[in-house]
Amino acid sequence: MWMAHSSSPYGTRRIALACFALLLVSIFLFPNQIQGLLQYLGEPVGYAVRIPLEAIAAVDTGIADRWEQYVALQGVREENQQLRKEIEWLRGQHSQLRESAAATERLTALLRFKEQALPTMVAAQVIGRDATNRYRTIILNKGESDGIKPDMGVVTPAGVVGRVVKTTGVSSVVLLVTDPNNAIAGLIQRTRDEGIVEGTQQGLAQLKYIPLLSTLRDGDRVVTSGLIGDFPRGLMIGTITHIDKQEGALFQSAELMPEVDVGRVEEVLVIQTSYGQSSKTGSAADLLEKPLP
Amino acid sequence: MKFLFYLILVLLLVPLQTTLLPHLSVWNIKPDLGLVAAALIGLFAGELEGLLVGLTIGWVLSLFSAGELWLSLVTNGGIGLLAGFLGRQVSQVTSFSLGGMLLLVSLVSGLFAAINFKGLDMPQMWWMVESIVIPQACFDGAVGAGFYWLLSRRFDLTRLRTDRITGLL
Repeated sequence: MWMAHSSSPYGTRRIALACFALLLVSIFLFPNQIQGLLQYLGEPVGYAVRIPLEAIAAVDTGIADRWEQYVALQGVREENQQLRKEIEWLRGQHSQLRESAAATERLTALLRFKEQALPTMVAAQVIGRDATNRYRTIILNKGESDGIKPDMGVVTPAGVVGRVVKTTGVSSVVLLVTDPNNAIAGLIQRTRDEGIVEGTQQGLAQLKYIPLLSTLRDGDRVVTSGLIGDFPRGLMIGTITHIDKQEGALFQSAELMPEVDVGRVEEVLVIQTSYGQSSKTGSAADLLEKPLP
Repeated sequence: MKFLFYLILVLLLVPLQTTLLPHLSVWNIKPDLGLVAAALIGLFAGELEGLLVGLTIGWVLSLFSAGELWLSLVTNGGIGLLAGFLGRQVSQVTSFSLGGMLLLVSLVSGLFAAINFKGLDMPQMWWMVESIVIPQACFDGAVGAGFYWLLSRRFDLTRLRTDRITGLL
C-alpha cells in the first residue's frame, strides 16, 4: 500500500466529516428526540421494505415447505408435524387447565369467581430474524396498523415466545424469551414461588430470584405469573432442568428449557389485551359485588 | 440512476439480512451485509456517499432489529466514511486491507454492543465476545474481502477509484 497523490478537493471530505460529527453530537445530546424522529420517518420505510421482505419470506417459506414435505420425508414428515402441533397444543391446554384448576381452588374461596374472559389475540407470521447476531428476535408481518404495540406478549399454543419491542406500521420485532435482555414474571407451578425469567447467552432461559426456602426440583414447570407485563397468568414458559443454589446467596436460580422451540417458530399469537384488561371481565371488586348465580 | 441503485440496495438488504442469511449462518453467526455494502460504497463512491448510504442502511436495518439505533448508525455510517478515506488516501487497496478494516470496525462495534448489554457479568460478557463478537468480526472481514476480490476479478477497481479521485467520474 502507498499513499495516493490525489488532486481532489477537500470539500467533500469536510462535508462528510461535519455531517458525521453533527450526527454524533445530535445523538448524544438529544437521544430521545432523534430516536423519535427516525422512528416516525421509519413508518413509510417499513411499508416499502415490507414488499420485498414478504416476497422473499414467501419464497423462503415455499422452498422450505417443498423441501420438508416432498423432498426430505414425504408423508411421514407431514404427519409428524401435525402430531407435534397437536402435542404442543395439548401441552398448552394442559398447562393452562392445571393453572386454571389451581387458581379456581384458591380464588373461589376468596371471591365469587364467575367468569374468566379469554385474552384478545392477533395471529401473525414470522417473516425474519434479527438483522444482527447480538439479539435473539423475530420479525412479524403485523405492526401498529394491526393494533400491535411495544411490550405486548407473544405466544404460541405451547407457551411463551417473547414480547414486542419495536414496531413499524406493518411489522414488529419480538424479543425472544431466550434473549438475555428479556425479563418475564414467572411462577413455579407446583410450589407457587415467583421469580423473573431471563434469557441466557447460550439460548436457554433461567428463573432468577427464587426464594431460598423454595422446594423446587428438576422437572418443575414454570408458567407466567401474570403480575407484570402483558402476559396472562398460567402460560407455559419452560421446565426446570438445573437448580443453582449458592452458599451465602439471597436467592436461588434455575435453568429452564423453554417450552417453545423459538428457533423454529413460524406462526405466533400477539396478546393485545390480557385477562384483566378484557372488556368482558370486571375488576375483583365488581366480582365480589356480584351475587352467585 | 445511482440513487435508484442505492434505494434498491437498501430495500433488498433487509430481506437478505433477516430472511435469507439465517440459512447461511455458520455456528449461528451471519455476516453483516450492511457493513460490507457501506464499506464498498465508501471505497468506490467517496466518503460522503459512503457516510450517507451507511447511515441509511444502519437506520433501516435498526428498524428490524432490537439493537440500539445509535450504534447501528455510527457503525454503518462510520465504516462508509472510513472506507471513503481509505479509498482516497491509499492507492493500492487490497482484499486484505479492506477485510482488515471491516474486521476492526465490526470488532469495535461488537464490543460496544456487549458493553451496552444490561446485566451482563464478566463471564457472560467474555462468552459473548468470544462466541459472537470475534467470529462475526472475522466473518464480516472475510465476506468484505471476498466481495472485493470478486469485484476485482471482474472490473479494474484501481482505475475506477483513481478516476473518481482525479475527478473523472
